[in-house]
Parts: sequence; structure tokens; C-alpha cells
Amino acid sequence: MYDLINYLWETGLNLLFSPEIFEPLVFPGLIAAFSLLIVVIWLERKIAAIIQMRYGPYYISRHTEGALQLVADLLRFLFSEVIIPKSVDKIAYVLAPIILFAFTFLPIVVIPVSKDFAAIDHEYSLLIALALMTLYSSFLLIVSWASNNKFSFIGGLREGFLSLSYEIPLIISALSAAVLFDSFNLIEIVEKQAAMGWGIFYNPLAAIVFLVVIIYSTSRYPYEIAEAESEIVIGPFTEYTGILFGLGMGISYIKLYSMSLLYAVLFLGGWEPVVWPLNLHPVLPGIILFIKAFIIVAFSVFLRAVYPRYRIDQALRIAWWKLFTLAFLSLLFSYGIKIIEVMG
Amino acid sequence: MSEEGYMLLQIGPQHPGSGHMRMLVKLDGDVIVDFIPDVGYVHRTVEKIAETKLYIQNIPLLEKPILNDSGNANLAYIIAVEKLLDVEPPPRAQYLRTIMAELSRIASHLYGIGILSILIGSSTGFMWAFGDREIFIHLMQMMSGARITYSYMVPGGVRRDLPDQFREEFRKAARYMRRRYKDYEKIIIKNPVTRARLEGVGVLSREKAIEWGTVGPNLRASGVAYDVRKVEPYAAYEDIDFEIAVREEGDCYARLLVRFQEIMESLKIIEQALEKIPNGKILAEKYEKMIQPRAKKLVEGTGRIKFPAIYVNLKPPKGEVFSRVESGKGEITVYLVSNGSPKPYRLRFVTPSFRNLLTFKNLIPGHRLADFPAIYGSLDYFPPGADR
Amino acid sequence: MELKERIETIVGSTGEVRIDRGNIVVEVKEPKKIIEIAKKLKAEGFDHVKSVSGVDYSDQGYFEIVYHVSSYSTPELAKAILVLKVKVPSDNPRSPSLIEIWPSVEMMERETYEMYGIIFEGHPELKRLFLPEEFEGVYPLRKSFKIKEEGIMA
Repeated sequence: MYDLINYLWETGLNLLFSPEIFEPLVFPGLIAAFSLLIVVIWLERKIAAIIQMRYGPYYISRHTEGALQLVADLLRFLFSEVIIPKSVDKIAYVLAPIILFAFTFLPIVVIPVSKDFAAIDHEYSLLIALALMTLYSSFLLIVSWASNNKFSFIGGLREGFLSLSYEIPLIISALSAAVLFDSFNLIEIVEKQAAMGWGIFYNPLAAIVFLVVIIYSTSRYPYEIAEAESEIVIGPFTEYTGILFGLGMGISYIKLYSMSLLYAVLFLGGWEPVVWPLNLHPVLPGIILFIKAFIIVAFSVFLRAVYPRYRIDQALRIAWWKLFTLAFLSLLFSYGIKIIEVMG
Repeated sequence: MSEEGYMLLQIGPQHPGSGHMRMLVKLDGDVIVDFIPDVGYVHRTVEKIAETKLYIQNIPLLEKPILNDSGNANLAYIIAVEKLLDVEPPPRAQYLRTIMAELSRIASHLYGIGILSILIGSSTGFMWAFGDREIFIHLMQMMSGARITYSYMVPGGVRRDLPDQFREEFRKAARYMRRRYKDYEKIIIKNPVTRARLEGVGVLSREKAIEWGTVGPNLRASGVAYDVRKVEPYAAYEDIDFEIAVREEGDCYARLLVRFQEIMESLKIIEQALEKIPNGKILAEKYEKMIQPRAKKLVEGTGRIKFPAIYVNLKPPKGEVFSRVESGKGEITVYLVSNGSPKPYRLRFVTPSFRNLLTFKNLIPGHRLADFPAIYGSLDYFPPGADR
Repeated sequence: MELKERIETIVGSTGEVRIDRGNIVVEVKEPKKIIEIAKKLKAEGFDHVKSVSGVDYSDQGYFEIVYHVSSYSTPELAKAILVLKVKVPSDNPRSPSLIEIWPSVEMMERETYEMYGIIFEGHPELKRLFLPEEFEGVYPLRKSFKIKEEGIMA
């Protein structure tokens, strides 16, 4: 009997700590992402408040400077009624934000947290991550279309236009990192960086383009165009209430988080350097990765306090003229470095 | 959803970017082809109510539509009543009125800048402007005792004298605002995104501005150097040396810059007024005589007027007058017809936002949907002011 | 005053010119003539209308429409306010619209129409502006419209 319990305990623990389960569910997946969400939204509000000379979150948990405000918000979303308007396509209306939320998490499964710890370690994991990231806009379009609301519709349309223009610089700048490190495997890319140095130093152009694309594609200021409040209420999520709206609020942050993880892997040396005591367990180097991603996320949300938002045509012009060109140049730059390497 | 391939979008009144009004926007893709401002959501028939109230009761009534610039709205009405009564307030009262009007103008401009900022997405600009507006509200509160609805000016003078600490407080406020201007420059004026959003957007040509009867900073941003303070000086503006901010571009950005320039100019005006302000009475002798002896001591002690009973049934002689003042948002005009009774026979109160309504309506078509809030904010259009 | 004489020659026999508290008042005798006068005034430099007001003198059988005209482009004229008045009978209040001459009257004529029921002939969009739909046929700023006062709650 004791042996059985012991056996179950052991296998259970092993199962939990197996990368396939642990990564998507605990770290850096669901649980880590949620805690990050709480911290980041608090941070966003607090930074903006400090710049704008006000208190920011204050009443919920005063001793922690209102850090639990988002928990209270989430609880409120959970318990407030989900009103489903008569005019919407009910199935799509309810399912689309949930699927969208799940899909924004998906890229995390291929992002490794250390050399021996990845849910899916694939030869082409970078491409898988990029492909999964591009699913976002198509489901957002479903959200906006199912809402049957003009503001949602315009918001979805804007997101469609934007995604067409940011995906190309996103993929090209990621590919220039792949060219630079001669691999599509994220673990290999980090290994190469550990040997050669961080990607951001080798190809700063690609790093800059990728960073701008992160801000651009996750609806951060100054590219907060698909949800522009003073123009189209809240864009695709105009008709949503309750927890479904809460999901909508969180989605762009989750996307920001997963893209920042990818950014840290591609350009900031991933989980390197692995120093004691991080080498004790394969999960622990992930902390470094997490911190790097967190800095990117915090930087992106900080921009809210600095910029107004662009108009959509201006944003599209930036994407096609500047980002696209720069991304292309960064690809050439990576090839240049490769050639120098081969020659020299 | 569509009509001949266009999308008809109803913005407001319950919309984060609409204010208290409904607007019908006809879209061709992202471009606005037709725009109908459906005003009247906060209409409160001020002109009709004014006919049923005593002259003195109309002071707070007429402040309320232009709540964020009530000092100037107050002044416009009082000048009209004084013209009817043929009363000239003492010089000190004129200076106090000037100070009040300029403080009110600064507050109004900060309000407008804040709204424009949030409409183009800059939450910092919004919070800063509204936070800094509080300083000037505080100053006006020191002068009048009220935060927003001052009712500071009464026929023949003002209600209160300048409090002792006012000069010091104002000196601090002016120093602070000048320092803050540099911050505003960094985060709003010179912000590349602000410039991208506002430059060349909503261009109002000089000819069109004149034709549509645009008023205020919007007119001056289109190159028309018209300011009632210069054209027909009232209060103490004749003795004060100031410049009017004029720009030629006529776009949203020029309107924003004119507002900032006017804030800085207003600080100078108040400084001059505080320097030049003469000592003396704050209420015309005609009315001061009528204050009861018992109350007189109080007036002298505190500098606060206790109203003489004559105000209750103020009966101006028969006639009609027209007054204009330059408020923060533009020219306020009051056309007052008296038939000799204690209530106005007709009070026509034309607010700057109402006059800018035509400009607003004509300026929008041809722009993109995202330009709509930018133009709306840059005109400093205040729906309650327009609806009255 | 020179300006007054200039305006007197413009108005001629179609109206009366006098000065009231510094403003030049032009009382047009017939509504039809107002367009002519307005055209000449515009040529003179009066380029915008500051306010259009109706005044109800229905006890004497007429409404008065008052245009306050001034100028932005000519600095000397900017100092002057020209009051253009025209009387219309209260049983059939009709007057030509001045929108062709001064586009700035558009909204103010609309407001005068809804508040007094004065029909401005030739105005392209003579619809209600502020009032809700159910106000059909009732003109609130006429003296015959009485406000129902609510009692003060003790």
C-alpha cells in the first residue's frame, strides 16, 4: 500500500515536473503568466501614476501600494454578469475570446527555459513559435465579427490591417536571428549565444525591429490603434462584459509576455548565464529568462505614459516603409556577418 | 449596417470620446464623408429660464453652461447688465475682474489641452493638464470662495477683495507653471507622435475661419488677429500690455500651441495686473451707499460684500445692449433686452462653442476616423457650452 | 460718425439707421430688403455674424430678428457692432435667410427657427437643433410658452 502511494507520488511529481506539463502549466506558462499579469498591470498603472503625479492603485491592499488591485478586478470580472447581446453570433461570441486566450499561450510550449527543459524541443521551434503567434489576429477578427457591432468591426479591421503589416517584419527579424546563429532551434540559438555573445550585440538592427514589432503587435502605445478608446470605444471587445471582457483585457498582455520570452531567447541570450545555484535544476535558469522577458514587458507598458497613439495609416506607413526595410536590412546584415565569419 | 456602401457610425452620447453629444459619422472605409453633430443632449434652455429670473439670479445661471470657464461667462453678463444700468465699477474692481478672467482662461485652456491629449491617447497630457488646472482653481477659490462657479462679479463691482496671501500664492503658481511648461514641451508639444497626429490635420484656412465665424484660439490659430480684449477692451485690459497669440497654420497643432502661448501670456497679464492694481473700493459707490450700516463694518473688515437689498429688484431702464468678452474658448456675446421690469425681457447668450459648432461640422468631413477626436479636441468644443 | 454715414448711404430708404449705446442699429423696414442690405454690408467688410436672436413682441404683433454683425478681416470695423434688425409678423413669421451672404448664421438661424418658429426662407437645413423630436409645433422661447414651475419642496 505504502509502496503504491509512494509510487503514485513519485510518478505524479515526475509528471508535474516533466517539461511537457510543467512548462505550459506552471512556468513559464499559465501560473507564471498570471502572476506576471498581476505584477505588470500593477506596474503599468503605478508607473503611469507616478509620471502623472497621482497615486494609482491605492485602496485595495494599501500596505502593498495597491498591488492586489488586479486580483480585485479579476474577481469583479468573474462575478459580474456576462451579458450576451441578442444580435451576436452566440457560439463564436463566447468561444472566440476563450480560444484566442488559449492560443496566445501556445507559443510558450516551444520556448525552452533551459538546455534540457522544453515542452517541445523541435528542430524548427522558432518557426512554430512564430506561426502560433500569427494565429492571434485571425481569432481577434472572429471576436470582432461575432460581436456584430460597428466599433468592434472597425477594431477588428484595424487589427487585420496591422497584423498584415507587422507579421512580415516580425518574421524577417526573427529569421535574421536564425541566420545569425545558423539554427531554427531555440535551444541551439541560446547555446550559440552563450558561446558567441548576445544576439542584440551582433545584430542590433534586428533586435530593434523585433522590439518595435512587439510594441506594435500587442497594442501598446503609441500603436494602441485597434482598441483606441477615444475613437472606437475598446475595439473588438466593445460588446463584451464580465469575465469574457476580462480575458480580452488580459490577452494582449499574455501576447506581450510570450513575445518578450521569444525576444529574450533570440536576442538577450535566453537563460544565460547559468550560475550557481541556477544549475541545480533544469527549471531554474528559466528565472533569468523570465527576468529578461519581464524587463521587455515593463518597458513596453511604460510607453503608455509617454506617447499618444498613431493614426492607423501612419502606423501602416511605419510598418511598411521603416520596419519592413529595416528588417530586410537586418537580414542582409546577418548574412554579412555570416560571410565575414566564413571568410575570416 | 451600411447604406450605399457607407457605414453610419453613431458616436455618443455614451462614448468615451464624444462628450455630451451625439455625432453621426458617415464613413467610407476609414474616411469620413459626412458628419452631423446632433447637439442638444445637455440643452437646458438657459435663455428661457433667464427670462423668468431676476437680473441677479441670472449670474449663477449663465455661468453653468460654460462651467470650465465660468469667470468669463460671468463677466460677459455683468458687462451687459452694467451697460444697461450705466454703472462703472471702480478701478480696483476692474483689475480684480481682469485677474479673475485670466485665471479662468488659464483653467479653461488647461482643460482643453487635457481633453485634446486624452483624445489622441496621451494620458499623461490629460492628467498633467487637469492636475495643473487645480492650481488655478485654487487661486480662484481664494478670490471668490468657490471652486468652479465663482459668481465673483456683480453689477458695479466684485464680491470680494483680494486676499492677503493671494500675491504670494500666485507668484508660486506662475513659477510652477513656467517650469511645467518645459515638461509639457517634452511630453506633448514636441512629442513626435503628437506632432504626427496634429500637424496638417484639420486645417482651417483664414478665409473659412472668417466665413464660418470661428472664435477664440481656433480663429487666432488660423491667422486672424482678433481678440476682444484688444478690439474692445473691457475690465482693465486697456492698461495692460500683452500680446495676442496668432499663428498662420490653422491646423490642430497650431491651435494647441496658441492655447499654450495664451496660458503664458495670461500669467504675464495677471502679474501686471497685480502690480498695477490700485487701492480703493471694489463696489461702485452707487451700490456701496446702500449697504446697511451694520453690514458695512463687516465689509470693511473682511473685504466681502454683503449685498444691498437693491440687487434683489434691480430694475434697469428700458433698452437693449450687446456685450462681448474674450473667454478661453472664444468670444462670448450677450444681447440683453430690458423692458424696465426686474427680469430680462430677452437674454441672448451666444457661447463660443456654439459658434464653433459650424466650424466643427464643416471641418470633419474628408478626414480619417482617427482624426475626428483630434479635431474635436483641438477645437476645445464643450457640448454643454454649445447647448446652453 | 463716418461709419454711420457710410451705412446710411448703403441702407438708403430701405431702413433706418441710428446709434444706440455705441452700436449702429439698422432697422430694416421690409424683410425682403434685408438680403440686399446684407450683401452691401458684406461688400463693405462686415464678414461674420456674432449672434442671431429672435425677440418676441407678439403683444405688438411682431417678432424681431436681430443680427449682430461685425468684421474679423477689417480691424476698424471689428471695433463696431452692427445691429441689423428686421420685424416679421407674429402670425406668419417669415424672413429670408442670410446664409448665402454670411454662412456663419447657419446654426443660429436654425436655433431661432426652433425657438421662435421663424421660417428663414432659403435656409438649406431648417431643422430642429437642440430640442427633442416631440417638441413639434411648440416654440419655447415665445412668450406664449410658459414654463411650468415646480413648487419648492420643503
